[in-house]
Amino acid sequence: MLLTVSDLHVSVENKPILRGLSLRVKSGEVHAVMGPNGSGKSTLAYAFLGHPAYTSRGKIVLNNKDISHLSTEDRAKAGLFLALQSPIAIPGVTVTNLLRAALGDNKNPSHNPILARRFVGSLPVEEFMKAVKEYAKQLHIDESFLSRGIHDGFSGGEKKKIEMLQALVLKPKFAIFDEIDTGLDVDALRIVARGIGMLSQKGTGIIIITHYQRILKYLKPDVVHILVSGKIVKTGNAELAKKIEDNGYTQFSV
Amino acid sequence: MATLNFPYKYGFHEKENYVFKSKRGLDEGVVKSISWHKQEPDWMLNFRLQALGLFRKKSLPVWGGDLTHIHFDDLYYYIKPTENKVSSWNDLPAEIKHTYDKIGIPEAEKKFLAGVSAQYESEVVYKSINQMLAKKGVIFLDMDSALRTYPDLVKQYFGTVVPSADNKFAALNSAVWSGGSFIYVPKGVRIELPLQAYFRINAASMGQFERTLIIADEGSYVHYVEGCTAPIYSTDSLHAAVVEIVVKKGARVRYTTIQNWSTNVYNLVTKRARAEEEAIMEWVDGNLGSKLTMKYPSVYLVGRKARGEVLSIAYAGPGQHQDAGGRILHVAPETSSRIISKSISRGGGRTSYRGLVQVHPGADHVKSKVVCDALLLDEASRSDTYPTMKIDQQGARVEHEATVSKIGDEQLFYLQSRGLTKSAAESMIVNGFIEPIVKELPLEYAVEMNRLIELQLEGSVG
Repeated sequence: MLLTVSDLHVSVENKPILRGLSLRVKSGEVHAVMGPNGSGKSTLAYAFLGHPAYTSRGKIVLNNKDISHLSTEDRAKAGLFLALQSPIAIPGVTVTNLLRAALGDNKNPSHNPILARRFVGSLPVEEFMKAVKEYAKQLHIDESFLSRGIHDGFSGGEKKKIEMLQALVLKPKFAIFDEIDTGLDVDALRIVARGIGMLSQKGTGIIIITHYQRILKYLKPDVVHILVSGKIVKTGNAELAKKIEDNGYTQFSV
Repeated sequence: MATLNFPYKYGFHEKENYVFKSKRGLDEGVVKSISWHKQEPDWMLNFRLQALGLFRKKSLPVWGGDLTHIHFDDLYYYIKPTENKVSSWNDLPAEIKHTYDKIGIPEAEKKFLAGVSAQYESEVVYKSINQMLAKKGVIFLDMDSALRTYPDLVKQYFGTVVPSADNKFAALNSAVWSGGSFIYVPKGVRIELPLQAYFRINAASMGQFERTLIIADEGSYVHYVEGCTAPIYSTDSLHAAVVEIVVKKGARVRYTTIQNWSTNVYNLVTKRARAEEEAIMEWVDGNLGSKLTMKYPSVYLVGRKARGEVLSIAYAGPGQHQDAGGRILHVAPETSSRIISKSISRGGGRTSYRGLVQVHPGADHVKSKVVCDALLLDEASRSDTYPTMKIDQQGARVEHEATVSKIGDEQLFYLQSRGLTKSAAESMIVNGFIEPIVKELPLEYAVEMNRLIELQLEGSVG
């Protein structure tokens, strides 16, 4: 399966941010998009999911289907997932409820409020809960976070882990992680990196958007792209990330 | 038939077994005929007539919502659908059964109910009382039957918590009341299952004036649940209920209401509880329907260490105004209270929080907390807060917090990026917002509440 971005131009409030970006990610691959502040990294993340504040031109094709003009929810349904840099709190909405709503109920599409409690996706509720708790354990997330309002009063590290948890449960075709490594201590960084590794092993194509190569110490990318001023100026292997670590981005300035 | 001194004067020729409907409008004759039909004792007739006088004298409140479109002369004040009460589901008339099937009474009964009391128009027609209740000495009757069966007990408490003179609509209810529930829980008796009643307005331009009285004797516990739905009518309807609760020493009463009147109904309800020493009174009040609701469940904390709580949810959609809140009077020392209000406005709907916390002189070591949060779903909607604090005793700890928030674009984007539709995302945010109160509801009501919010938001976004 393939996710391709061709000649993507994105502007915010008429200000051009991305100026002709192209990418090609295969299932199970790990790509890192690295760039300095203001290069358009977060814009790329939002543009993938069609955030209404971002005006896009160009093509995003997922598994031979052009999703460039789809709504956010339909892109998600097509198989895209975005882990946000600073996800917003939604009081009273637990991650468990969110995941249940996202997966729906394949057995009872009628939305009968009583029947709908029995299945999540095609899993009985009990098995779904077991799976969520197992992932939470692997990510060192205390179970109490599963029944609290999502990101409501969570620390930076907890937020990132909860985003990671959702990716693991939803098993998207392609997942974008925006600055997943910021605000994480070494232990949390290792845990999140392992989560991303698990996800890619299950076949999800991964795009890690990051300023630093910290996380790449724990997770070897297949492809590294350097994003400067809204364009990918260089693409290479994991060695490229090391060069950034040593010499910074100035060598790529346009 | 001592009260039968005006037999056919007012044109009521129907025999006992026939459907009876009073004429439009309200006068002494209507009040007398209601009392006559119910074969009430003289004191109740006098109570009604006195209240009628007060109703005429009192003016409409000048605050709150717009009441000028209520035409008291166009309303029917009494309708009796069937004469005899039935004790089992199968005995109910098919049409009434169909209506209740839609609300889900039998299912609810099987699962949770100790007793069901369903009010159809002005009269309770269906009732089943669990043997357990009778064995424990609990009285759970419709108010009309209670007046006949336990006249002294009713007389002792009726109108003592909400006097007829309290306000215009309490006076109106006192004059024309019909139906409602009467509950007496003896000393030390705890009823673990909630008692429930379903209410319904079914005739156009018909006021419904039910009257509920709950007496929880010392050390007892009861949870009463009342749920209302009503079909849409073209003419305005009036619902003016009075609920009086006496919570004696060490007793606890929780009273839960989910109100979903059709959006042409004026819902003007006086609810008040008196809590004695170490008693606990909790109001859980959900207002989803009606054109205008004005309702401020109150607790008078008259005994040392008594506690009062009001948990309130209000939803106002297009054309609706929910003027809701709570009133707590700290009369005795060491009393404590909490009011939590959550309101949601959408499509030009208006919610108002109106609350009073009053600490009387001599009531020392009082603690009170008021939290009111409003959620606006769009620019056209409105929310106001009218909190009043009257503190006449030093050292009272009274806190007040208020927030107004809008559903943020970022919250919507976040949920939509997980594959939820916009309306599913909105209802999820709204349900999350009211979750702290919904979790206090019995499970079925919590499910229904979430579903009602979803229904309200479905199709609300373009």
